[in-house]
Amino acid sequence: MSVIEVQNLQKSFGTLKAVDNISFHVSPGEIFGLLGPNGAGKTTTLRILSTLLKADGGTATLNGLDVKKQSEEVRKTIGVVNGGMGLYDRLTGLEVLRYFGSLYSMSKVAVDKRVKDLDDLLHLGATLNRRCGDFSTGMKQKIVIARAVLHDPSIIFFDEATNGLDVMARRAVLDFVKQYPDGKRTVIYSTHIMNEVEELCSRAAVIYGGKLIAEDTVTGLLEKTQTKNLEQAFFSLVENSGLAKEVTL
Amino acid sequence: MRPTMIWVVASKELLSTFRDRRAIVSSLLIPLLVLPLIMLGLPFALASFFEREDATVSEVAVVGLDNLPEELRTQLEQDETNEARLSLVKIEPSESPTTLVREDQYPVVLEVPTTFSNDLSTNKATLKLYSKQGNVRAELIASKVQDAVNAFRTNLVAERLRQVGLDENVLEPVNVETIDASSQAERSSGLLAWLIPFFIAVWALAGGQVAAIDATAGEKERGTLEPLLTSPVRRAEVVVGKFLATLTFGLLASLMAIVGYVVSGLLLRQLFANQLGESGDVIVSTLGGSLDVSPLSLLVLVLTALFLAALIASLLIGITMFARSFKEAQSYVAPLSFLFILPAIGLQLADFFGQNPFIYLVPVLNALLLMNDTVKGRQELLPILFTWLSLIAFTALLLDFAYRSFRRESVIFRT
Repeated sequence: MSVIEVQNLQKSFGTLKAVDNISFHVSPGEIFGLLGPNGAGKTTTLRILSTLLKADGGTATLNGLDVKKQSEEVRKTIGVVNGGMGLYDRLTGLEVLRYFGSLYSMSKVAVDKRVKDLDDLLHLGATLNRRCGDFSTGMKQKIVIARAVLHDPSIIFFDEATNGLDVMARRAVLDFVKQYPDGKRTVIYSTHIMNEVEELCSRAAVIYGGKLIAEDTVTGLLEKTQTKNLEQAFFSLVENSGLAKEVTL
Repeated sequence: MRPTMIWVVASKELLSTFRDRRAIVSSLLIPLLVLPLIMLGLPFALASFFEREDATVSEVAVVGLDNLPEELRTQLEQDETNEARLSLVKIEPSESPTTLVREDQYPVVLEVPTTFSNDLSTNKATLKLYSKQGNVRAELIASKVQDAVNAFRTNLVAERLRQVGLDENVLEPVNVETIDASSQAERSSGLLAWLIPFFIAVWALAGGQVAAIDATAGEKERGTLEPLLTSPVRRAEVVVGKFLATLTFGLLASLMAIVGYVVSGLLLRQLFANQLGESGDVIVSTLGGSLDVSPLSLLVLVLTALFLAALIASLLIGITMFARSFKEAQSYVAPLSFLFILPAIGLQLADFFGQNPFIYLVPVLNALLLMNDTVKGRQELLPILFTWLSLIAFTALLLDFAYRSFRRESVIFRT
C-alpha cells in the first residue's frame, strides 16, 4: 500500500501548465526523489501535496487523506522543508519552535522535550536562544528542519533544501535526510541536483516541463537510459521525451 | 475558528512587533513624547515670546519726529500706567522708510508728515507705518504703535465732542454683549474634542500599519508564510489573529498619543503657568483642554475608538495582504492616511452636518463625529447606534474580504 498516491495531477497558471497529468506513488518509509530543473513543476507538485495550492484536476492522497477535501488533517501529518529558510528575525530559534508547536496543538512541555531530542540530532545549540535575524544560513536551515519535523510527521517534503548552503551545512542536511526517516517516515526529496537524488533516494520521478517523463529506481533509470550517472540519464530522458528546449545563457 | 489558535497567531505577531525597535520608536514613543511636545511646546514658546516682546521697550524709527504732537509722542513712549512702551529714534527726512525696513535696520518706521498738526485740526491727518507684513516681531511692535495712536485718537475725539457739548458715548449708541452658552464639557474640552478622534484615526493607522505589514507582506518577504500555511492552523484563524495584533498595536499607538498629549498639557501648565499668567491658561484650555465626561460617555468614547481602530485594522490587513514586500505594502498604505485625515479635517465643520443622523452611517466620519459629540457632552442614542452598527458591519465586510483574499493562491503566492 502506498502512503502517497498521486493520480493525473494537473495545475495551470494562466496558459502555463505547471503540472501536466502527473502520477506517482510512494511507499511507506521510502525516500522518493523528484528530479528536474528549475521551473519543471516540482515545487508546484509539492505545494499541491502540502495543501497550499489546489489542483485543477486529478487526485492526491497522503496516508489515505485527500489533499483537497481533508486538507487540515493532511497538514497535521506532513512536514515541509524548503530552501527559502524563512524564519522570524525577531524571534529566537526556541520561540519559533514553540510557536509552531502551538500551531500543531503541542503543549509547551511536549515541545521542549521534542526540542531536546532534536537538539541531539541536529545540534541546534546556540540557535535556540539567539534571534533568527542573527543566524548564518546553516543555522537557519537547522531551525527550518527542526520546525518541519517538530510534530514528528510521518511524511516529510524537502524542496530544494540545500539551496544556498555551504558544503558543511549541505552535508548535514543530506545526512539528516538519510538517517532521520529510519524506515518509519516517508520522504519526498525534490531537487535539481542529480547526485543528491543518487545518494539519497531509492526511487525517483523525473519531471520536465510539467510532465513526469520517467519514474523508477535510480538503478532502473540508469539501465533504462544506458547511462552511467543520473545527470546523463536525465538528459537522455529529456531528449527522448520530445520536450527538450534549447537552453541559452 | 478556534480561539486558542487565534491567540497563538496574535501573540506571536505582537511579540515580533514589540521587538521591532523602529516600530516602538515611530508608533509608541513619538506619539507619547515628541509629538505632544511639538504641538504644545511650540504655542507655549510663542506665547512666551509674545509676552517678552510686549514687556520690552522696542525701538521705532520716526521720520519727522519733530512734527509729532507732544501728546501723541507721550502716548507712544509710555502706556497708561506710565511704563515705557516704545523708544522713538529720530531719522533724517532724507532716509527712505521703506529702505530702512527692507534692509532690517529697523523693524518698524513711522513717518509723520510736516503738515501733520495742521491736518489734525482739519481731521485729515495721516501717519504712515512701515513694517514687513508677516514678520511676527515687526507686527507686534507695529501693533503697539497702533494701540498708542488709537488711544490718542479716542482722547482727541472725546475732547472734541466735549467741546461741542456731546458725550463720547454718542458714537456707540448700541453695544453687543456675547455670552458663552456652551456646557462645561464643551468649554473644557478645548481642541481635545477634535484631537482625540483625530489621534485615534491617525495613530491607529500609523501604529496598526507597522503590525499589519509585518504580519502580511512581511511574512511573504521573509518566506515564513508557506510554513505557517502548511501547519494545521486555519486561514480564518490566521487572518483574525493578525487582525487582532494590528488592532492592539494601533490602539496602543492611539492611546500613547492621547496620554502623551494630555500629560504634556498638564505638565506644561504646571511648568509655565506662573511665567505666562493668563495667556498660559488660555493656551492650555484651547490646545490641551480637559475631559469632563460621565462614566457612560467614557464608555461610549472607548467603544467607538475600539470600533474605529478595528475598522482601520481590518482595512490594513485586507490591503497589505496583496503586497509582496514591505516596500510595496507601504506604498499601498500611504494614500490611506487621506481617508482618515480628510474626515478629521471635515470634523471642523461638524456643526453644519451634525443634525442629520444618517451622516453617522458613513464609516470613519461617523466615529470622529460621535467622539467629538461625546467629548463635548452631547449624546443621542440614534447616532451611537448608527455609528457602532456601521463600523461593525464595515469591519466584518473588510475581514471577510481579507479572508477571501487570503484563500486565493494568486494573493498568497504573489512573489
